[in-house]
Amino acid sequence: MSGAARTILDVRDLKVRAGERLILDGLSLAVRAGEVHAIMGPNGSGKSTLTGVLAGRPGFEVLSGSATYRGSDLFAMPPEQRAREGLFLAFQYPVEIPGVNNVYLLKASLNALRRHRGEPELDAFEFLNLVRGKLAEMRMDESLLNRGVNEGFSGGEKKRNEILQMSLLQPTLALLDETDSGLDIDALKVVADGVNKLRSPDRAIVLVTHYQRLLDHVVPDRVHVLAGGKIVRSGGRELALELERRGYDWLREGTAAA
Amino acid sequence: MNAPGPLERIAAAGAGLATSLAGGPAWSRRRRRALDTLASRGLPGRRDENWKYLDHARIAEYPFDAPPRAETDAAALATRLLAIEDAQRIVIADGRYEPRLSDSRIADGLEVVDIGALLERDPQAALAMLRAPGEDADDRFALLADAFAAGGILIRAAPGSVISGPIYLVHVATAAAPSVHQTRVVIEAGSGARITLFEHFIAFGGAASLGNLAAELTLGEAAVVTHLRLHEHSPNAAQIETWVARLAGGSRYEQHLLALGGRLVRSNLRLALEGRGTACRLDGLFLADGDRQVDLHTEVSHVGPATETVQDYRGIAAGRGRGAFNGKIVVQSTARGANASQSSRNLLLTPLAEINARPQLEIQVDEVQCRHGATTGTLDAEQLFYLVSRGLDPETARALLTFAFCRDVTGRLPLAPVRAAAESLLAASLPDRDLMRELG
Repeated sequence: MSGAARTILDVRDLKVRAGERLILDGLSLAVRAGEVHAIMGPNGSGKSTLTGVLAGRPGFEVLSGSATYRGSDLFAMPPEQRAREGLFLAFQYPVEIPGVNNVYLLKASLNALRRHRGEPELDAFEFLNLVRGKLAEMRMDESLLNRGVNEGFSGGEKKRNEILQMSLLQPTLALLDETDSGLDIDALKVVADGVNKLRSPDRAIVLVTHYQRLLDHVVPDRVHVLAGGKIVRSGGRELALELERRGYDWLREGTAAA
Repeated sequence: MNAPGPLERIAAAGAGLATSLAGGPAWSRRRRRALDTLASRGLPGRRDENWKYLDHARIAEYPFDAPPRAETDAAALATRLLAIEDAQRIVIADGRYEPRLSDSRIADGLEVVDIGALLERDPQAALAMLRAPGEDADDRFALLADAFAAGGILIRAAPGSVISGPIYLVHVATAAAPSVHQTRVVIEAGSGARITLFEHFIAFGGAASLGNLAAELTLGEAAVVTHLRLHEHSPNAAQIETWVARLAGGSRYEQHLLALGGRLVRSNLRLALEGRGTACRLDGLFLADGDRQVDLHTEVSHVGPATETVQDYRGIAAGRGRGAFNGKIVVQSTARGANASQSSRNLLLTPLAEINARPQLEIQVDEVQCRHGATTGTLDAEQLFYLVSRGLDPETARALLTFAFCRDVTGRLPLAPVRAAAESLLAASLPDRDLMRELG
């Protein structure tokens, strides 16, 4: 049977506040398995709030609307449960955690997910084999494993580390928050490669980005423009190219006029 | 009618003991003088600026007038000792040197003197060897130790000697009955001598015991002393200590203090950097969980030119625990070119926990570099979110971050068994022990 692919994420009329400020103002978005969506928008349009509130970052208040993840109410789950259920957020600014080994976090994280799925934990040997393979794919040095999490990493190394985690955890829904920003072209290709490898009929990927250059390497199925806390336009890949050419202002004028 | 306070009890005990304790007439006079000074000054209390964070009622509970002694259970002690390669063990039980539990072999270049025996044999030599506490306000517990001095240990490294294995100095409180015991420790490193000293504080038993340590440390020119100190008391044990250190030109002193056990720990360190280019590094880590109290005071005086201090103190308080760090650095007018940095970072894990950090700088000369900083806060929310967003449960994430906070200090411990012991003590106090163990 070739029915419509199942919906992974279904956000409806979401209104979210941070402090006194209304940031998401009736946002709706549906992402089905197998799809890659790009969310673009000017600074301050609410892009990071969207990924943050979906991953469970504290500090946001959901005023109304809903987010359903694989049929369950996402907001009813604590952040660790969202992660264990297969949601992954690649941070825009991955935090440094000196004193916690990178390799330790990778292992603890993978085993937390495996336990949740009722799978046996990997032993040290199996784990190391797996992670070494991923490191090679990401063209990351093995010495990074025994450093503190993101400690002293360059901007590019931090972003690669996010993709390394993602490719290890094999999420069902990956949210990438401006993972492309601040990357040189080589790092951008490595990151894009990691994202492309994750693409599969079972997974959904949401790329949040300010620029369209990542989309030269990861071709999205849908492109959305986020402005003023809601999706103001959706389209195919050509929308990203148009944004690149014309900037965001024409859209703002467009919505104001509408 | 009020029960007699500790000072009254000390005075009553002193009247009898000042003559019956070892040392003859010369020591009777000295003991009497110490008691008189103490009586006129009073014990430290809440109104003393440097003592205000300590629960003095808690100190007063200990029986200052009854110094019983009990046999140390050698087998029980063995289970608590760390296996340290090439270490030379010296055991002090309830303030007295225990040759039965100590290594009889003494490394070349090292001299070990039983102060209790010396008080009997040669009181005059003991008078000269043990510093008489003076007028300093923080010397009052040292006065108490002076008044009731009965034993302890002197460790002397001959000039130029390099003692290869660490000296493992064990302080054990048998705590067979409620007791207060006084201990004297004198460490002397001759010119150019190199020693590593590991002091391990252990308390057995359920009875309340208070250890009061008065200690002196002297480094000759260009001597190098590495000093590790692990407080691992039982929940009823308390420790008060007064260290006075003098470092001669070009010497280097490194201390790693780990206050991880006991009902109350108060540590005073007064250290003078004399001569040119003398340096000290002071690392400290305390954990005040449950209703424990830890109160660390340091006062480092830069006397000589181009002297250097690096201090890194970390504190954690949880439950109703209370911690204090008071670090004073004085750069005297003679200390041109001095370099001092002090950092005090503190972590509060629960709303009722409390830590007071007070860095103080007093600079009497230009051309010095000094910086200090103190922070007290909770775990970083962004780090916590990062870890839970990777599927770790919040308890584990919290424990991991707390452990990581300690690791900067434990990671610098120069003896691996001490590091392992400290980290396992920390892990035992944090949730998810198995995970922490795996981390190590």
